[in-house]
Amino acid sequence: MNLSISALDYQTSIKNGDFTVEEFISKSIEKINSVDDNLHAFLLKMNDSALEKAKEIDCKLKSNQNVGKCYGMPISVKDNICVAGYRTTCASKVLEDFISPYTATAVDRLQSEDAIVIGKTNLDEFAMGLSTEYSAYGPSKNPWNTDYVPGGSSGGSAVSVSANECVASLGSDTGGSVRNPASFCSVVGLKPTYGLVSRYGLISYANSMEQIGPLTKTVKDSAFLLNIISGIDTNDNTTRDKENQDYLQDIDAGISGKKIGIVSEMTSSEVLSDEVLNSTKDAIKTFERIGANCENVELPMVPYAVAAYYTITSTEAGSNLARYDNIRYGYDFNSEGFEFNSYISQARDKLGPEVKRRMILGGFVPSAGHAGKYFLKALKVKSKLISELKPIFDKYDFLISPTVPIQPFKFGEIQDPVQFMKIDYNTVTSNLTGKPAISIPYKIVNGLPIGIQIMADSFKDHSLLQAAYALEKTVELPEALI
Amino acid sequence: MKNLVTEEEIAQVAKLMKIEIEDHSEHVEKVQKMLQYFDILDKANVESEKLENPGIKLDKLRNDRYISYDKKLLKFLKIYKEKYVKAPKLS
Repeated sequence: MNLSISALDYQTSIKNGDFTVEEFISKSIEKINSVDDNLHAFLLKMNDSALEKAKEIDCKLKSNQNVGKCYGMPISVKDNICVAGYRTTCASKVLEDFISPYTATAVDRLQSEDAIVIGKTNLDEFAMGLSTEYSAYGPSKNPWNTDYVPGGSSGGSAVSVSANECVASLGSDTGGSVRNPASFCSVVGLKPTYGLVSRYGLISYANSMEQIGPLTKTVKDSAFLLNIISGIDTNDNTTRDKENQDYLQDIDAGISGKKIGIVSEMTSSEVLSDEVLNSTKDAIKTFERIGANCENVELPMVPYAVAAYYTITSTEAGSNLARYDNIRYGYDFNSEGFEFNSYISQARDKLGPEVKRRMILGGFVPSAGHAGKYFLKALKVKSKLISELKPIFDKYDFLISPTVPIQPFKFGEIQDPVQFMKIDYNTVTSNLTGKPAISIPYKIVNGLPIGIQIMADSFKDHSLLQAAYALEKTVELPEALI
Repeated sequence: MKNLVTEEEIAQVAKLMKIEIEDHSEHVEKVQKMLQYFDILDKANVESEKLENPGIKLDKLRNDRYISYDKKLLKFLKIYKEKYVKAPKLS
């Protein structure tokens, strides 16, 4: 049995009776048991419930009952997305005992189509990071070379798909947290248009920017999952109707005659490595070979985007994390003998250093005397970036860039916080502006992956997937050897 | 490096944010570097940019109504006593 098959191939195989759901789930659990002590993609394994659900679906198939479109495919879910009755820790000790009282809409929609959640995956604490080095439970490792980070913050999700521990995963993307690990682990990662996928049940970090998105083995799989998870949700007022869009339909329409803008600022930044630049130049040639017209475009606000992003997200994080007072939920820590403020401070001592730093920033940048210098300017950069993109998307169908300016780095290699933030240089623009963006595996150089990012105008997710599929078809890459 | 934020300021913000930090100095250098990087915003030339807040119409908001909860959730509370959630005393 081939665990590396795509979600759509899995669907076909189950329909053809090539194997049972229970057989596939059992093999996936075996795989997790054999590799995950090393890779640490999972914070929670849900083996028993997964096997039980697999048997149920097999029974339904045998008795010719209706079965959902996912046919029992094993998926993993980032551990900041709620699944009722199971722990959701956000990779934080503060939530080590927190049991989700309800299921996130995106997960619920997948489960309604008979997807099986096989486990919850690792992340940087509260999704604040891009390497999983800030997980309170230890980092995940890159299946391509375990000395290197898998990216983040949805690093566990990317590892679980790349190492064939599951067929697909759900992550969340606030500043690149789906696309960055997808690029580092050679899987497809999609950040949908803001509002296309419900955030209900996603534990908030920076509400105005984050989106749940799929990490998959193929572009078609991302389109398949987006079909299921997208659309309006009464529990999330920011969601929009997807108007019966089928993201798989005409996915092979090609890219002939389309106009692509190459974002100059993202292909000439000081942080860009030679290997990534050369791969991007090669991808541009590929796009031209398959019929697209590529031109350089300028987005003058991009150099300010990282600072604006961290200013706004820290401010929102400072507000969102204020709910962790350990009274309504949290870990076992008795309030007896404590005064109110000192109790909350003591309880929050379990927050990790990066989360504390972001809270300090989040308290500082919008405060009296500093808001004009930092927060207000950041909002204005965001606004101007949106204005800059409008005429560009009137003229161009897509924008392209490397997903991440560098390849995966070794654990502990980057200590400087500014160098760390700049790794988000190419991804934050789509979050600040709400645009959809996707990372497609493009090259393996020196044994490590490089991804290419395509961005489209809001709610052009269908065209985005068509362009991504056109590029993917030109690429043949090996699998991670793990 | 220009001192953008001092150890005392970090201590004050941490206190306001109700987060416990034993050694504030461990955060000073990193927070200072991050804030110094944020100074790049001064060069963005966005002073004249108008911020719009489109708002949301009232009928687009979900109804402000009571949603019943599953009483079983109470068992997850660590400091639930009889009918009350036990909280630390206010000074």
